[in-house]
Amino acid sequence: MRSFSVVWNTTIIQKWVMAITGICLVVFLLAHLSGNLLVFLGPEHMNAYGVELREMFHGAAIWVVRLGLIVALILHVLSGIKLARLNRGAKAVRNDKVEHRTSTIASRSMIYTGLLVVVYVVYHLAHFTWGVAHGEYYHVVDHLGRHDVYRMVVDSFHQPLITITYVIAMIVTGLHLNHAISSALQTLGINHPRYTPMLRLAGPALGMLIVIGFLSIPLGIMFGLVK
Amino acid sequence: MNLRLHIWRQAGPADQGMMKTYDLAGVNEHMSFLEMLDVLNEQLLNAGEEPVAFEHDCREGICGTCGMVINGRPHGPIARTTACQLHMRSFKDGDEIYIEPWRATAFPVVRDLVVDRSAFDRVIQKGGFISANTGTAPDGNAILVPKTDADHAMDAAACIGCGACVAACPNASAMLFVSAKMGHLSYLPQGQAERSTRAMNMVLQMDAEGFGGCSNHYECEAACPKGISVEFIARMNRDVAASALFGRD
Repeated sequence: MRSFSVVWNTTIIQKWVMAITGICLVVFLLAHLSGNLLVFLGPEHMNAYGVELREMFHGAAIWVVRLGLIVALILHVLSGIKLARLNRGAKAVRNDKVEHRTSTIASRSMIYTGLLVVVYVVYHLAHFTWGVAHGEYYHVVDHLGRHDVYRMVVDSFHQPLITITYVIAMIVTGLHLNHAISSALQTLGINHPRYTPMLRLAGPALGMLIVIGFLSIPLGIMFGLVK
Repeated sequence: MNLRLHIWRQAGPADQGMMKTYDLAGVNEHMSFLEMLDVLNEQLLNAGEEPVAFEHDCREGICGTCGMVINGRPHGPIARTTACQLHMRSFKDGDEIYIEPWRATAFPVVRDLVVDRSAFDRVIQKGGFISANTGTAPDGNAILVPKTDADHAMDAAACIGCGACVAACPNASAMLFVSAKMGHLSYLPQGQAERSTRAMNMVLQMDAEGFGGCSNHYECEAACPKGISVEFIARMNRDVAASALFGRD
């Protein structure tokens, strides 16, 4: 019988790992977005949500999710780097003239957009989770003594540099998602003439929706919808 | 018509190789692309130069022997057409045409436009078959095959193994080829016995040959002269996962 590592390291199983962990990360993005959009309902909802997130199941829930996300992210990045290196080696010499017909800038730049997103995530965590970057916005409490998530977000996005970095990061994420979602479904063997034409549109559409959702927050703050 | 051709010339596997430019006059629009190269080679031979090496056999679009990247597209500009079935009427007077070999680490260049595709043969040896006992031929129609399954199997079996999918893929992935060979057997009752073993064996050999992974660019489907669908890749992905999870070998 073949060992676990032989099977695990085949290109197709590595792709499965990438697809499954990728879908986990997309589900996280949706959950994260739905929480963030509470900013439009005002500080009461946003800060209560922050407390709830940290205290759910005596603080266990957030760590279970975090652990899952860390594992998913590590596996996703490792299989991505492994496959990208393999692919590069497999096409060491390229034709002088190449015409791309079905591949897109998004599909051909997955490894670069992916790595950029990872770099951004570290900065994003340093900013909003650890309070290491831009600490002046982090250490604020509201009238109930809760961590003032709302103020932190609104004040942060009043800084043009933070907003610009965020917008760029979201565009890069959007580019990654543009190919990622429908590609993951194909990797998982989900392809049928009855629904695949729809899924190939739905993937990029969902990616776009996620990005627009996240972008609505700094834009809402910029245009004074959120104060 | 008069053409300017830019062709990859490489004396042997160890040679560096380079693009060389040739002017060819009086090309007839009814010539096939390979006949045009034949005319060029006559001209080169008369001038005492080495002719351009390229592979060809049936020149009817069914053997999968010919294959070259023409202006950045494997088999040239016409969809579902092999290089030998491409005709010069698809080009116009004064055109510049770039002619290059398939590019993939698993397909080393032998000479000029000829690449070594024996990696495909080794993948087939790992599972592109069914085991059948010899002896009296089984009764015709003893094993029933639903029409739609037979149709799908035939769609996959249309693969001529030319390697255009590998050439078109930015990752030089062979998944369209391997999935077609797998799919044509997995749709038939005769292919079920070895289905799980076949899936894993062929994929392991595909990886060992140095083909890349699939990034779902679908360039292979666009380049395939037989129009094989990436649906077969999805099917292969399911079979390999099932083999990894439940296979006993």
